[in-house]
Amino acid sequence: MKKKDSIPRIPHAFFKWYCKSNRYEEISGDLEEFFYDRLEHMSPVKARLLYVRDVIRCCQPYAWKRKGYSNSTIIMFKNYFKTSLRSMIRNPLSSFINIFGLSVAIGMTLVVYTMIEFSSSLDKYHENAHEVFLTTFYADRDGKEAQYGTTPLPMAEMLKNDFSQIEKVARVQDFSVIVKREDDVFHERVRAIDPTFLEMLTFPLKWGTPSSLADINSIVLSSEMAIKYFGYDNPVGQELLVKFSDEKKKIFSVVGVAEEFPNTHAISFDFLINFENLKFVQPDYHPLDWNNFISATLIQVSNPSDIEIIKSQTNKYKKLQNEMENDWKIIGFNFHDLYSLHENSSQIVNDISRDQAKEVFIGLPVMGAFMLALACFNYINMAIGSATKRLKEIGVRKVIGANRSKVIVQFLAENLLMTFFATLMGLFLTITVFLPWFTSIADAPLEISLININMWIYLITILIFTGVVSGIYPALYVSKFRVVHIFRGAVKFGKRNPIMKAFLCLQMILAFVFITMAVMFNENSNYQAQREWGYNQHGALYLELPEKAAFDQFKGLMDQNPNIISVSGARDHVGKTISETMVHINDNAYTVQQLSVASNYFTTLEIDFSQGSSFTDRSTNNKTAIVNETFLKNTQLQDPIGAIFKLDSTQYQIIGVVNDFHAFNFYNKIDPIVFLVSEKEDYRFISMRVRAGSEMDVYEDLKGYWADLYPETPFQGGQQIDLWAKFYADLGQMKRFTRTIASVAILLAALGLYGLVTLNVSGRIKEFSIRKVLGAGLKNLTSSVTRQYIVLTVVAFVIGAPLAYMLNLGLVEMMFAYPLPAGYWGVGIAFVILVIVMLGVFSTQVRRVFVYNPAQGLRSE
Amino acid sequence: MRGNHLGEFEELVLLTVGVLFDDAYAVAITNEIGKQSGRSVAVSAVHKSLYRLEEKGMLSSRLSDPESKRGGKRKRLFNITPYGKKALDQSMDLRSSLRNQIPDLAFNWK
Repeated sequence: MKKKDSIPRIPHAFFKWYCKSNRYEEISGDLEEFFYDRLEHMSPVKARLLYVRDVIRCCQPYAWKRKGYSNSTIIMFKNYFKTSLRSMIRNPLSSFINIFGLSVAIGMTLVVYTMIEFSSSLDKYHENAHEVFLTTFYADRDGKEAQYGTTPLPMAEMLKNDFSQIEKVARVQDFSVIVKREDDVFHERVRAIDPTFLEMLTFPLKWGTPSSLADINSIVLSSEMAIKYFGYDNPVGQELLVKFSDEKKKIFSVVGVAEEFPNTHAISFDFLINFENLKFVQPDYHPLDWNNFISATLIQVSNPSDIEIIKSQTNKYKKLQNEMENDWKIIGFNFHDLYSLHENSSQIVNDISRDQAKEVFIGLPVMGAFMLALACFNYINMAIGSATKRLKEIGVRKVIGANRSKVIVQFLAENLLMTFFATLMGLFLTITVFLPWFTSIADAPLEISLININMWIYLITILIFTGVVSGIYPALYVSKFRVVHIFRGAVKFGKRNPIMKAFLCLQMILAFVFITMAVMFNENSNYQAQREWGYNQHGALYLELPEKAAFDQFKGLMDQNPNIISVSGARDHVGKTISETMVHINDNAYTVQQLSVASNYFTTLEIDFSQGSSFTDRSTNNKTAIVNETFLKNTQLQDPIGAIFKLDSTQYQIIGVVNDFHAFNFYNKIDPIVFLVSEKEDYRFISMRVRAGSEMDVYEDLKGYWADLYPETPFQGGQQIDLWAKFYADLGQMKRFTRTIASVAILLAALGLYGLVTLNVSGRIKEFSIRKVLGAGLKNLTSSVTRQYIVLTVVAFVIGAPLAYMLNLGLVEMMFAYPLPAGYWGVGIAFVILVIVMLGVFSTQVRRVFVYNPAQGLRSE
Repeated sequence: MRGNHLGEFEELVLLTVGVLFDDAYAVAITNEIGKQSGRSVAVSAVHKSLYRLEEKGMLSSRLSDPESKRGGKRKRLFNITPYGKKALDQSMDLRSSLRNQIPDLAFNWK
């Protein structure tokens, strides 16, 4: 009972804790008085509760304690802040270099972060991402086993019937079509799907309902396409004409528009139509046609673990497939869930997801880590170097009463401040410079969202990590000195410091790697830029024909154009479209690229023959073919002219062999190619050779012809060299990028070296003075200044050269199909650059020692 | 203006301090306001106003002798300063002058 009458203890303790001492007595008295008053006419429990309420209510600024220790700590940190700023301002160059180096490094790590986050979030927003699977198969072609993302047409139906675990199935087939609405005509890609597609991949619709796609005449648009054709209004109910080919046209009515796709999509669509339209589009459509491979088959299971059961029972499809179709020997089927599809996409050929930019994903993190290490090492050396100038400050602090940990905290705080500036600058650099660069290189819409919490956590982690890692050693080192030694001037500073030397060595190795990278990239880019395409791409133009009759019409006009030297038709065109097919030679199957062309195609593009000759004009029925050198190499035909191969159960005889040429840019290897004769009715392209210098005129002429003949079809044509414009732009960009990185690396290494040598020389000034007094000349001084660094350089070279060579060779080989033949040029040039920089640094210090008055060095003390 | 501005609750506290002359401390003021205005007031609100008024110079304070009722603790007694009186008067004048300016017509609701 007694307890209930007294002041509640815990709330009172809380009150005592927060209340400042000079008000504690009066306020607690007031509260107590209230409590006893209330006891008289209330139950003790209620009084106690009300007391608690009062305590909580009184917890306001007027009653709060000012933190006892806060004043001095805050003042101390203010002082640190001030001294850091001052010392930064006093050495503007070195602090700029430090901050800039760090910010470039931090920027790189940020880009890495954005890429990884972007890539790992792709397609994860679909509600059923874990339950939806893409069907793939393994096939052995040319002795290489690969995984393919396409599926035989009947698979979907059979899977659905055979497995109760499968809830939904959606087939996907893409078409290139022309879409027309009133005067707007564009080439587009249409995706034919089963209506379940929109249930499995949850793309929300802005207008309309997904189920209306069940109607065979309906079409769903992406938000982008809706704007392109109909503006910002709701287009539901409007009509679009889709031309699948010259004869196959069909009017679709718009039943829905998708919301804008999130940035993090790998799978998307422009137009969706019902899959049943395949019957209309493909003349030989048959639901049980195992030869018909469609773009994708997606299945949805109720329980993701069931997929193993399904996979284990796919053997019968394999058997079925291999009986029907002998060219494509399927080894087995597989399923990939949507959630991880993008990560695996680069291992799957022809899948509907987007491949990861492999080079960027491996190269960048490595580069980012290297840059960060370089910047940290640099900071460490610079910080220790600059601490010589601040020895007195440290001594005074210690005399006043700072213990070692205070000095460590000071230096760490200073370093964190600097890293903070660097982080800000890095963020700025990333947003303004790096991301736009990498967006174009990696071809992904990368962006940093400043409201992303993860990004800030990452950034702060990097900040603290970098700040502490780079700051801890200098802080420990500097705080170690004894006050007495500092003031007596007896600190042996930087004379023999193996750790600093190790850092410098690492720094030089990294600089070495970066310079080698820049040189090798530069060489390679130049090499790629000068590399022959294998035919004469200059002065060649092409047109994509809108319809069959177009060839004669255009040819008629072109024949009258004096600038056009020759014109030839083709079904496929180098650099635009090539179809893949299988050929058989003596029971061996090979994958080849097939081009069907007119007989004068080779003269028009100036593709040279190494053996045999081109088609004769009347060779259409003779079933002849022309192949390239790679074809010979792959098939190991000894005597190609007259050799026979089988393609689509027809026998062809090889009458000529052309030199290898690049059908696509230098990222791609040259494929084996077979040229066949194309019927005139099949021509889809016109290629032409024009008089040198008249390319632009002809291009304008072509546009004019097109506008006259086909005002309703968008112009499709251009110069052959423009097909690779993006490739060359990429090259230039990468060249600039690697150069920048290498320059920063050189700068950082040079400054690290400078700091270290200066420090060393300052510490040995007495030694040099004595040497000079005893008559040492320039030679002697130079050797005694540089001796130890020469060892360092040799070590750095011995370790760095092979490392740089291997790393960069790997990088270059990963990027280009035909890299510059391996040479030691890059390493050599990097070495020369590094040596020149080092000589420059040494010469400043040797000069300093040389002009130094020895009397001064000996007078002190 | 800012210096001598009085909030409504502050004015109430200031007046009450006057009323309870020489025995004005937080508990008494809280009780008095509660009794006279009939509204329930938190002691913390009174504390806050008292300290703020003191900061503004409208109240002065001293500590009393220890009292057994409060567990032997002293209480802080407040008194109005001349400046406090001036602020109070100004505020009252403003109110009455405004009140007098209201035309009778405004109260004629018929």
